[in-house]
Amino acid sequence: MLSIENISKAFGGVQALNNVSLAVAPGSVQGILGENGAGKTTLMNILFGLIRPDRGQIRLNGQSVVVRSPRVAQQLGIGMVHQHFKLAPALSVTDNLALAVGRNFVLLHRASFRDRIAALARSLHWAVDPDSVVGQLNVGQQQRVEIIKALLGGGKILILDEPTAVLTPQEVDELIPAVRSLARAGITVIFISHKLSEVNRMCDRIAVLRRGELVFAGPMGELSAEEITHRMLGAPSALSSLGASSASPGLVRLHLSRVCCPLPGTRKYKPLLDNIELSVRAGEIVGIAGVEGNGQTTLIDAILGSLPISSGVITLDGSDLSHLVNFRRARKFACIPEDRQGQGLVLSLSLTANLMLRSYRNPEFMRLGLRHVTAWRSRAAMLVRSFDIRCASVEVPIQFLSGGNQQKALIARELYGNPPVILAINPTRGLDIGATAFVLQQLTAARQRGAAVLLIHSDLDELLAISDRVMVMYAGRLLPTNWPAVDRAAIGRMMMGITPQAA
Amino acid sequence: MDPSAPPPTVNSMQSQSARYGVRHGPKVFWLWTAMAVGAIAFSGLLVLAVLAMSGYPALGILHRWIIGAAGNRFNSAASMADACPLLLTGLAAGVAFRSGVLNIGAQGQFLLGALVSVALTTRFIFPGPPWCVMLGAMAAACVAGGMWALLASVLERYRGVPVVLSTILLNFVALYLVRAALHGPLQAADTSAPQSPQLKVIYWLPILITNTDFHLGIPLAFAVAVALAVVLGRTNFGFELLITGLNPRVARLVGMPVARRQFAIMFLSGCCAGLGGAVQVLGVTHFMLGNFGNYGYTGIAVALLGRLNPIGIAVAAVFFGMLDTGSRFVEESSLALPHQMANVVKGVIILAMLVASAWMMRRGSRDRSLEAGENQNTPDQQQVQS
Repeated sequence: MLSIENISKAFGGVQALNNVSLAVAPGSVQGILGENGAGKTTLMNILFGLIRPDRGQIRLNGQSVVVRSPRVAQQLGIGMVHQHFKLAPALSVTDNLALAVGRNFVLLHRASFRDRIAALARSLHWAVDPDSVVGQLNVGQQQRVEIIKALLGGGKILILDEPTAVLTPQEVDELIPAVRSLARAGITVIFISHKLSEVNRMCDRIAVLRRGELVFAGPMGELSAEEITHRMLGAPSALSSLGASSASPGLVRLHLSRVCCPLPGTRKYKPLLDNIELSVRAGEIVGIAGVEGNGQTTLIDAILGSLPISSGVITLDGSDLSHLVNFRRARKFACIPEDRQGQGLVLSLSLTANLMLRSYRNPEFMRLGLRHVTAWRSRAAMLVRSFDIRCASVEVPIQFLSGGNQQKALIARELYGNPPVILAINPTRGLDIGATAFVLQQLTAARQRGAAVLLIHSDLDELLAISDRVMVMYAGRLLPTNWPAVDRAAIGRMMMGITPQAA
Repeated sequence: MDPSAPPPTVNSMQSQSARYGVRHGPKVFWLWTAMAVGAIAFSGLLVLAVLAMSGYPALGILHRWIIGAAGNRFNSAASMADACPLLLTGLAAGVAFRSGVLNIGAQGQFLLGALVSVALTTRFIFPGPPWCVMLGAMAAACVAGGMWALLASVLERYRGVPVVLSTILLNFVALYLVRAALHGPLQAADTSAPQSPQLKVIYWLPILITNTDFHLGIPLAFAVAVALAVVLGRTNFGFELLITGLNPRVARLVGMPVARRQFAIMFLSGCCAGLGGAVQVLGVTHFMLGNFGNYGYTGIAVALLGRLNPIGIAVAAVFFGMLDTGSRFVEESSLALPHQMANVVKGVIILAMLVASAWMMRRGSRDRSLEAGENQNTPDQQQVQS
């Protein structure tokens, strides 16, 4: 019996978990549902000893335990399988597992170890050959190996962190009975997901997290799918002041026609992009809702040309983009990337340099072939003023600015000068309410000026508040909706992969 | 997070660092300088202590070393002549490392540059005035070094061979190419050793200060350093190289031709090394041997000591030149100290620098992570980090 009692954890000012309590019965499969940032992974990382909670405790069979590190977690019988496997592809299954359990300077009897693995696999009715080379196994089988690795030390509790995110539908179908057989063997499985359909088929009990709070815990089936979705997403919040535009959109700027994109290097897995049809017109915001990891970043990569598409056409103002070199293509779009610090800014450089990354080529910033230092500085100062970036000086390395001001700087750079096409991915992630409103206002203002905006956002409320048209991305496919004629819950269901009725 | 809160900034850093390209405040610059001086002093003391314990007159050696390095006009010029090839190979490594390209191949590019310049001043002399021939030889050496470096870049781009690996391996290819040429078409008539004939005196780089080793190549090398400082620090091209090196994803996002810039970095880097080879042949040795020094490898150390900054590299190269010249002077005196001592000192300095800079980097990353905890406090990002 594992019980989590009154766990709270804050990162800086954001409460990632607030007083969460949950009891998990042995031999059951406990699903944990929630949106991105709801606190699922934080909770599991606390269980596995990767993060220390601010308050609260964990009890194992009635005894209070302190999970200081993953090593302690393993000693307590808690194993975790991460989304990304930690296996050596060139080694056999046995050798990989030996690496995981072997201690320095202690010899391992290979043959008996191998038999132990085979026995464990047999007891779970899994077809895992201890001698096969890991690199030749498919992803589902590799996942089994990871699970066995987590159980080898005598683990009784197994945490699966979004195990289906990397699997094909067929492999998911195979995983479900595998997890059930684990539960029959008396192992407690904690299954993290944001796909309701999978949780439905796999779990005995579910817990729903929303913004760090436990909003539901109980047996599977107690709530209908609609109610669970409703609890995950919460009540629609008031972002009404922004509103959708009444202006009629103009010509089609960006158009994607039957765009497909396979997973690199293989045809076996599901495609990253599956027959995408999309057009964004001048003066409108097209919002793409969806749970992260359903192909959104791939879509942006395909538009920018950093990922080759296998079929289909992407046109900008009617001309095919595939004829352009990547860097010229990138110059045609303003882009607010998902990873602000990794892809948007050069952290060690000054605010001025970061603000000038788009416009430094402009002749007005050059003098005699060299940088026109004063012109650079005055442009930076102007952007700082008009976008209200709080900083002590434009020469400060941008890493010393707060997250909200970094994002303002990024937006100032990308949106200044009325770019005709804007791509934005999760532009308000990690921002507080004030900064969020600022970012959304900038996007609507750009639309008012006639820009074509493609907004990919995992926050459904904000997305619905400013989008003129809404589409849902699920498993690499783009599903149109009749927003605002359909209600929010219907879009929520489509995000979860239920009844993709093109309403 | 709260936009109304005063921005968290390090106040001491802003007023002075009034240039866009300052990646680290002046505080860090002084820290680095102090560290370099400290590492040099520490290594010097260590070596002197070891010498004293082995029965050498340590202070006498230090005195002679200083005289040998900069005691008079002649010795100072010799130090500069020693610094010259190191400066150019140091720039080669610095240009590449600064942009995140690990070109370990300055040695091979240097050798190839030397080979081409020897060929064009002994066997294959184009008709023309001597200064034209010399200029042509140096230009050809630049191109040869640049192409040799570019080869590695092309291999990486189109065949996925890491530049670190290919440049090291190409060093050996270059070395044996040189030996083959010196045994074959470029071998001097009067010897069986792998050795080129001597250049005619009219093709020697002119000596600028009479009765010293101060040849035209020395100011040329410093001019290259200054030119690179301007190009890298003040032009759009240099800005793009910097961004490409610091964060290629950003460079791609804002539409910089990342691949082209990476090729340019390698070509420029190889050019510097190739020019170094030509200057060494035309200015100092005036012929070429199968064993032509380790300037390329030492250049990496010079670049690191100079913090990948062209001006810093110039200072570091002069320091290394003085070490070499000084150690030869000590060797020639009656103190019976092996010449290799200079190399020991250099090695200890580099080690001390690496330890100190690793320490600084750890400090820096700790500060950054504190900063991150203060600023980017979203649960998602924290999850990703863990």
